[in-house]
Amino acid sequence: MQRIPWIDLLGGLLVLGILALVPMFATSNYLTGVLTVCAIYGIWASSWDFMSGLTGRENFGHALFIGSGAYTAGFMATAWYLNPWYSLPAAVVVAVLFSLIVGFPTLRLRGPYFALAMLSASAIMQRLCLIYWEYTGGEEGLYGLDPIIRSPLYYYWFVLAILAVTVLNVTLLAHAHWGLLLRAIRGDEATCQAAGINVTFYKIASLMISAAFTGLGGALYAHYQLQVSPPLFSVVVSITVIIMAYVGGVGSIYGAAIAAILLTLLTEMLRGFGEYRLWVYTLTLMLILFFLPGGLVAPTWRRLTARLR
Amino acid sequence: MISPFRLAAAGLIALGTTCISAVAIAQQGPIKIGIPTSIQLQVGRDTQNAAKMAVEEINAQGGLLGRKLEIVVADETENPEQGIAAIKKLTADDKVDVLIGGYTSGVTLAQLPHISNAKTIYLGIGAASPSITAKVKADYDNYKYIFRVCPINAAHQARALVDFINGKLKGDLKYSKIAIVGENAKWVQDLVPILKKGAADGGSDVRLAEFFDTSTSDFSPLFAKVKESGAQHLIVILSHASSDIFVKQWYDAQVPIPIGGIDVKSQDADFFSRVGGKAISETVALFAIRAPMTPKTIPFWDEFVKRFGTAPVYTGVGTYDAVHVYAEAVRRANSLDTDAVIKALEKTDMVGIAGKIQFDEVHDVKTGPGLQNLIFVQWQGNADRVVVWPKDSQTGKMISPPWLGN
Amino acid sequence: MLQILIYGAVSSAIYAMLAVGFTLIFGVARILNLAHGSFYALGAYSAFTMTSLLGLPLLVAAPLSVLVVALFGVAMERFLVRPLRQSQLAVLMITLAVSLAVEQALFLIFGSEYRNVPSFIAEKIAIGGVDISGQRLLALTVGVAVLLMLWLIIQRTRLGAAILAVSQDPEAAQYMGIPTNRIFSIVMAISAGTAALAGILVSPFLTVQPSMGLLPMVKAFAIVIVGGLGSIPGSIIAALILGYSETAVAYLASTAWTELVSLVAVVATLMIRPSGIFGRRAAF
Repeated sequence: MQRIPWIDLLGGLLVLGILALVPMFATSNYLTGVLTVCAIYGIWASSWDFMSGLTGRENFGHALFIGSGAYTAGFMATAWYLNPWYSLPAAVVVAVLFSLIVGFPTLRLRGPYFALAMLSASAIMQRLCLIYWEYTGGEEGLYGLDPIIRSPLYYYWFVLAILAVTVLNVTLLAHAHWGLLLRAIRGDEATCQAAGINVTFYKIASLMISAAFTGLGGALYAHYQLQVSPPLFSVVVSITVIIMAYVGGVGSIYGAAIAAILLTLLTEMLRGFGEYRLWVYTLTLMLILFFLPGGLVAPTWRRLTARLR
Repeated sequence: MISPFRLAAAGLIALGTTCISAVAIAQQGPIKIGIPTSIQLQVGRDTQNAAKMAVEEINAQGGLLGRKLEIVVADETENPEQGIAAIKKLTADDKVDVLIGGYTSGVTLAQLPHISNAKTIYLGIGAASPSITAKVKADYDNYKYIFRVCPINAAHQARALVDFINGKLKGDLKYSKIAIVGENAKWVQDLVPILKKGAADGGSDVRLAEFFDTSTSDFSPLFAKVKESGAQHLIVILSHASSDIFVKQWYDAQVPIPIGGIDVKSQDADFFSRVGGKAISETVALFAIRAPMTPKTIPFWDEFVKRFGTAPVYTGVGTYDAVHVYAEAVRRANSLDTDAVIKALEKTDMVGIAGKIQFDEVHDVKTGPGLQNLIFVQWQGNADRVVVWPKDSQTGKMISPPWLGN
Repeated sequence: MLQILIYGAVSSAIYAMLAVGFTLIFGVARILNLAHGSFYALGAYSAFTMTSLLGLPLLVAAPLSVLVVALFGVAMERFLVRPLRQSQLAVLMITLAVSLAVEQALFLIFGSEYRNVPSFIAEKIAIGGVDISGQRLLALTVGVAVLLMLWLIIQRTRLGAAILAVSQDPEAAQYMGIPTNRIFSIVMAISAGTAALAGILVSPFLTVQPSMGLLPMVKAFAIVIVGGLGSIPGSIIAALILGYSETAVAYLASTAWTELVSLVAVVATLMIRPSGIFGRRAAF
């Protein structure tokens, strides 16, 4: 097993520390709220990167796991009035179930086919939520969820902790034998199969792991927003996550998490541009995607710490 | 003769007091009004413009409790996630004293718990779902901050529409078979059952009642179904959906059934020209029109058109009223303390632009004679808007679609 | 029944125009162009600008708009896509960014309200008791004509032969003296142009708003997959299947289910026969 470079661990701890301490110097809960959303996107992006970044099977339907986790939390709160803490493990289970249902038939597909299958699956779920509006609340969705932890600051630290656990977990897996196999599958699947590796098992298992953390993030999001609605299943959300992983440096995992935080912060900070906010954001994105095809975060970090490796 | 010293002393005291007051006022800072709205839509633009107008009027007369009013806008788009972010920004970051805005019921519903947590008064001026104010009674301590100034809620609108169906369509035009078509949004889902029952009770035969997806772009299957149902009039309930395409496709296919109902996009003053005149004979429910509904109506209308070049949509009217409702309540409470202002707001009895404004027990604006009501206006030739219902406000005859002859 | 036949034909023709362009650029240049929907939107908006703001007659505005968008597509390919050609993911992402940028630009310039483009033909025509607007019939006729023309070009001209050669093996084609880069540009122009034309034809009776390109993009993607990436006849047949099933569902059941049809069709195809109806086994 490859050891995680100590410099990366140090960097990670530093970032975590800064993130945890920043809200204490802020004058209002606003920043805490923004950072909570940043952290949740970090969970989604890093778990996407684990599966798709390593295997090269781009998952264009990540929103499926986000939405299913969120709606599970939503149903448990509004239909069955259960304690919000139960929604966390429930969301994980539901998301993993979805990954099995969609993953089994589609993971044998190559290239853009898997991407499209996942995209269609999440779009189907979005449609169904709208069609069966009597049960799912339709376009407005479910609202009236209770927060898990009332204090915004403590909830933020809780989410941050989960982000740290997620990134650590998948990074360890990525550096272990598992990661090696996933990368091998990206390289040449046929050879792996010929070498006797159970390629299907690894692909599905990594999708399940990705889905588990993502579903958890979805539930956390639901209990922060205190409502869930169909846009959570939309292709826009999937694309946002992919962009984050891409800007972070596909395959680096920590890059995806950092990029997620940076990009989410960017959308909030650009509010000063008023109507031009999304335009500036899109242009910035285009510049990054064009000039830095390898991503922004991971290559920069590696360059900065090259001497220390 | 007053001694020069006394004169000088008096002068100095006067000067000193003025200076101190000026400093005091300046240090107290402005009263901030937060405007969460969909800034890229016409409803959002009119919300901001009307707020500006109202705020400038109040500031010109000395402000509120001696302090100037200031506006802070945040884009809530039509997406609940952005909506919640907008509320958080306004309350936690900008620390506004009151929130005036809203449009999409779903977004407002999502924002409610966050508004309640921020303990900030919210005057809704755009969203119609009754669920928004339902919690005021059920959980007063947490949700007492929520008021709705405009529009009258969907249930009231449904009853007004029923009145139109029974009075005008069945009574005057003798149409007994109607079809109801609405976009699949919460406020419509709240409204249609009341509509169906009211129409049926009034003796009309509801041949078809269907919801369609808000993002539908091809209505030909829908028109075909309505035609087959034998309905004589089609009641539409549209807000976010593509009224433009709906009307254009209706006109192009020359569907032999007149349409009318609640169509928010059709309330825009330039809707008629925007669809190339294809909205002719569509009847639209409005809250205000350039007519002497109250002494304030025409001056407000003309001033708005002069400053912003377009007639206001309902959110513009509502926002202007809401700012004055708030200012008046603050004056009566003589303080900005939230609970005191809430108590004062509950007793509001003010003449607004379209009628008197009073709130019921769930802080929802009341409807009835002299209060806020719907009027039904029809697009006729040359983009004229003719009031066709209620009878006492009628300004002209109702026409049929041009291909049906008169 | 007749209604479904006629309206289904109109839908299919529009979908076919969109899908063919998409599959062409993929088959030839291996570019999954996520900005394809933007070409559709730009075509409609360009027609709107020229007719409403510049006052040009529709017959002039339409071909001009097609030209403008085709040039835009060529520029995008030349300056944004070609430098990134080694990585398919990079190309995907940059075309995605372009589509987002275009949508935002349209939002800012034209606002979010739906815009009106006048119809070419204003009359209503009745075919066997079915009312249909003249504009829709025009869309159908032009669509079929364009597809036929495309087929003729590819099968009968030298340019078409060159395009086929490049799609089979770009390197070998280059060795044979075919200017592959120029072929890429030409194919991109055709792809963008057909998408723009589709946008112009439907704009009088469908939406013209900044995000109008997203849904057709997803549908085009779906059709191309079902028909087989890189196969034009496959796209046409898939477009027919999808167009008709959507129309049938809309008339017989409810409009709410129409979107579901294409999505389920895609998933079904992917599970049963991933290369699509006429696709070659994916070479990657």
